[in-house]
Amino acid sequence: MNAPVETPLLGRPLLEMRQVTQTYSLARPTLLGTRPSLTVLDHIDFDVRPGEAVGLVGESGSGKTTLTRILTGMEKPREGHVFYNGADIWDGDGERWRTFRRSVQVVMQNPRSSLDPRMRIGVSLLEPLRSLKIEGDHATRVFEVLDQVGLSRQALERYPHEFSGGQLQRIAIARALMPGPKVLIADEPVSALDVSIQAQVLNLLKDLVNNLGLSLVFIAHDLSVVAYTTSRVSVMSAGKIVEVGKPMDLFVRPQAEATRNLVGAILTVESGLAGNALA
Amino acid sequence: MMTMSKSSRIPVPAPPGVPAPTTASKKRRRLPRNASLIIGLVLTTIFLAVALVSIFYLPSNPNIPVIRNRLLPAGTPGHWLGTDVLGRDIIAQLMVGARTSILVGAGGATFSLILGTIAGLAAAASGKMTDEAISRGADIMLSIPGMVTALVLAATMGSGALTTILALTAFFTPSFTRVIRSAAIGVLNEDFITAAKLYGRGKIFVLARHVLPNIAGVMIVQFTLYFAAGILTEAGLSYLGVGVHRPSISWGMMLNEAQQQVGVSSPLAIWPGLAIVLMVLGLNLLGDGLRDVLDPKLARRAS
Amino acid sequence: MTGTQLNALEVKNLVVHNTALTAVRGLDFTLPAGGRMGLVGESGSGKTLTALALMGLLPMGWQANGTVHHDGVDLIAQSDRALSSRRGRTISMVFQDPLSSLDPVRRIGVQVSSVIRRHTNVGKREAESQTIELFRQMSLPRPEQLMRAYPHEISGGQRQRIMIAMALACYPQLIIADEPTTALDVTVQKQVLRILNAAVKDRGCALMMITHDLPIIAAMCDTVAVMYAGRIVEMGPVAEVFRNPRHHYTKGLLDSQPTMDNIALDGSSRLASIPGMVPPLHSLPAGCAFHPRCAAATEACMTRVPPLDDGSRRTACWHPIEASVAMVTA
Repeated sequence: MNAPVETPLLGRPLLEMRQVTQTYSLARPTLLGTRPSLTVLDHIDFDVRPGEAVGLVGESGSGKTTLTRILTGMEKPREGHVFYNGADIWDGDGERWRTFRRSVQVVMQNPRSSLDPRMRIGVSLLEPLRSLKIEGDHATRVFEVLDQVGLSRQALERYPHEFSGGQLQRIAIARALMPGPKVLIADEPVSALDVSIQAQVLNLLKDLVNNLGLSLVFIAHDLSVVAYTTSRVSVMSAGKIVEVGKPMDLFVRPQAEATRNLVGAILTVESGLAGNALA
Repeated sequence: MMTMSKSSRIPVPAPPGVPAPTTASKKRRRLPRNASLIIGLVLTTIFLAVALVSIFYLPSNPNIPVIRNRLLPAGTPGHWLGTDVLGRDIIAQLMVGARTSILVGAGGATFSLILGTIAGLAAAASGKMTDEAISRGADIMLSIPGMVTALVLAATMGSGALTTILALTAFFTPSFTRVIRSAAIGVLNEDFITAAKLYGRGKIFVLARHVLPNIAGVMIVQFTLYFAAGILTEAGLSYLGVGVHRPSISWGMMLNEAQQQVGVSSPLAIWPGLAIVLMVLGLNLLGDGLRDVLDPKLARRAS
Repeated sequence: MTGTQLNALEVKNLVVHNTALTAVRGLDFTLPAGGRMGLVGESGSGKTLTALALMGLLPMGWQANGTVHHDGVDLIAQSDRALSSRRGRTISMVFQDPLSSLDPVRRIGVQVSSVIRRHTNVGKREAESQTIELFRQMSLPRPEQLMRAYPHEISGGQRQRIMIAMALACYPQLIIADEPTTALDVTVQKQVLRILNAAVKDRGCALMMITHDLPIIAAMCDTVAVMYAGRIVEMGPVAEVFRNPRHHYTKGLLDSQPTMDNIALDGSSRLASIPGMVPPLHSLPAGCAFHPRCAAATEACMTRVPPLDDGSRRTACWHPIEASVAMVTA
């Protein structure tokens, strides 16, 4: 089902899901009936290698959100395993869990909601270090990360409401970078931003992968945004990964029906002007 | 009788077929909100100051009858609001009454706030079973009329300030629990909570450092509104004769005593009545004003 | 319908403000009958307040000045009552979020047919059969059953089609659609746009499409107005504006669209992006509001507001991009 895609560099997967199946039990239809269950993820294999940027696309309801929750350790899968650096994250000591927590960080969709409105930016940035008890010169680390995301030091004293959406997303990215993660999981990181700001944030994510050697998992509903940021894209539909490929191949020769739907859904200025986009 | 808060928000009327605007940047006029905050603050501060002064200074002893001074009219030198049927100074009684009202109202609201916060946060952050247990428990307690609780407590423990505070606590805690639970659930659904969990913060830290600061506004507003409701309830209980007893004095008790003189000296009922109205009005205005200033969502929108 | 109405909308010097802020700072444009105009802008550009001002639905505290001629009257001068009898009849609106736009406790059929009954003189039966016919035109499955459904029982795409049906029910002269597909799944977006497009075309009704999404405007509209910080900065036929943008902001927006053309195979490509951020309303820059983000800005841009010139291609810029320069990047 999952055609192997050559990845020239890279070697062993850094973060990996093997045969993950997740089911939720629903309410009983009758008083004495058995609980029906809903399979949200069906034997999913998914991985990202060191320094690699991979994408995950799918319609809402395809299982993207659940996959993200399992990949970040927010949820434990019913069946299957999640490995970080070859070790099962659900089968180890506290030290292994802590390593996983520092190494896999997340950027979420809505930057207004992802920062505590009552906390100064500086405090929010230090939180991951304090929580994960990471030693070292915290101030230097904060300045270093601010530089990486292109924010000035004045930001530290301020509160979230003093910033625009695009700046807040940079701050959220900075917080994710603080513990020095190896994998960044970005869940629809630009869909809540203004058009002129989206490009800035996409470029920033791309730079982080190139300059810091981070691995990136980019989850979105919009294939063209994912294609711009990643080199390998998995397409999800109804709880399964139905196609994996390079972005260009997915555009030009989509195999699965879900991929064809996603490619067909893309509107561009040129296709719109050509007058047949809505034909 | 409980919450006297009037929402000043009037939604844009949506005609049939045309739904109301959903995402417009809604901004409200600032003037009335600040006015209610200032008036509320002034009234509340005056009463707090009076209560404080009454501890150190009273114009005369409000409990000792002075028969030759019976029923002096307002404006009499030395007794500017007059005296009651036993010749006791009205101002002195009102001052002690302010102390009692504030003690009982604030006491009831404080204990309810503490218990309601613990129960509300537990319901919001624990599993479904705990939530159900706490929420249904609150529903059951809310279905028992507060006056009945107070009368039963007064009958079993004897009436007094402490009994009244306990009755108010039993009466108000479920409401605090509900409000704090729903506010906390709102905060717990925000993405910064998810982020905190992802860098390893535990439940207690999240509640203390993220949830509490973000619901503080709701808590303060709730506190002022129930402070006012507590004063009203206390007045009601004292009026019925199951509140505080002399040498303690409460405004409700003064009303009760004055009632026997209506027709003889009607102003006697006016003064404590006016004190209750102004104090409750002040707290409600303060609560409404604070709600607008402290609500993080409104603040975010206004910025 | 009274006589020949040449223009669906004539807006002159529209200003929308509250006591502290001015969000829309003087709009002038004309939308001919049956025309389709796109209004592009980012958050804070004033595009949504413009739409609400046209509908007479401004949130509390906001006020509109200027003139808006529609159907022979000035909408700004109309009473609330007159406006409310107009809404849904000669002018109607489709909002972003169809779930909060429908009454959750009334059946869909009742909601739509009551709009028809309010504005036309038909009985209950007739209104219901018109509603079913409308649902059919919106390609909604099993329209008879849908009549009895509640809003939460159907999908987002279906809800938005119902909103469109409701907006079209009384053959209005003008439909204002504010981000009608932003809340929908990508794969549903195109279908909803297609249905809106066809329905508007069939009825010959004018469309004002408000969105931040340039491709949608390219596909749906014949003219476009680009708004920035409460003013129109560029306006003209959609193909000309998008192929040869003359304002630097328009060009920046076009260049920051991720498309297959600017995705290099080796992943080394970078999107062109507009530096800086959209200025907040309370601290708009002097002169041209875009100058702090503009590479071509000069002294003049910082002090004087560029006027929107006249003609079919209108630009408010002291240093418009020449056609030849733009062709190179196209």
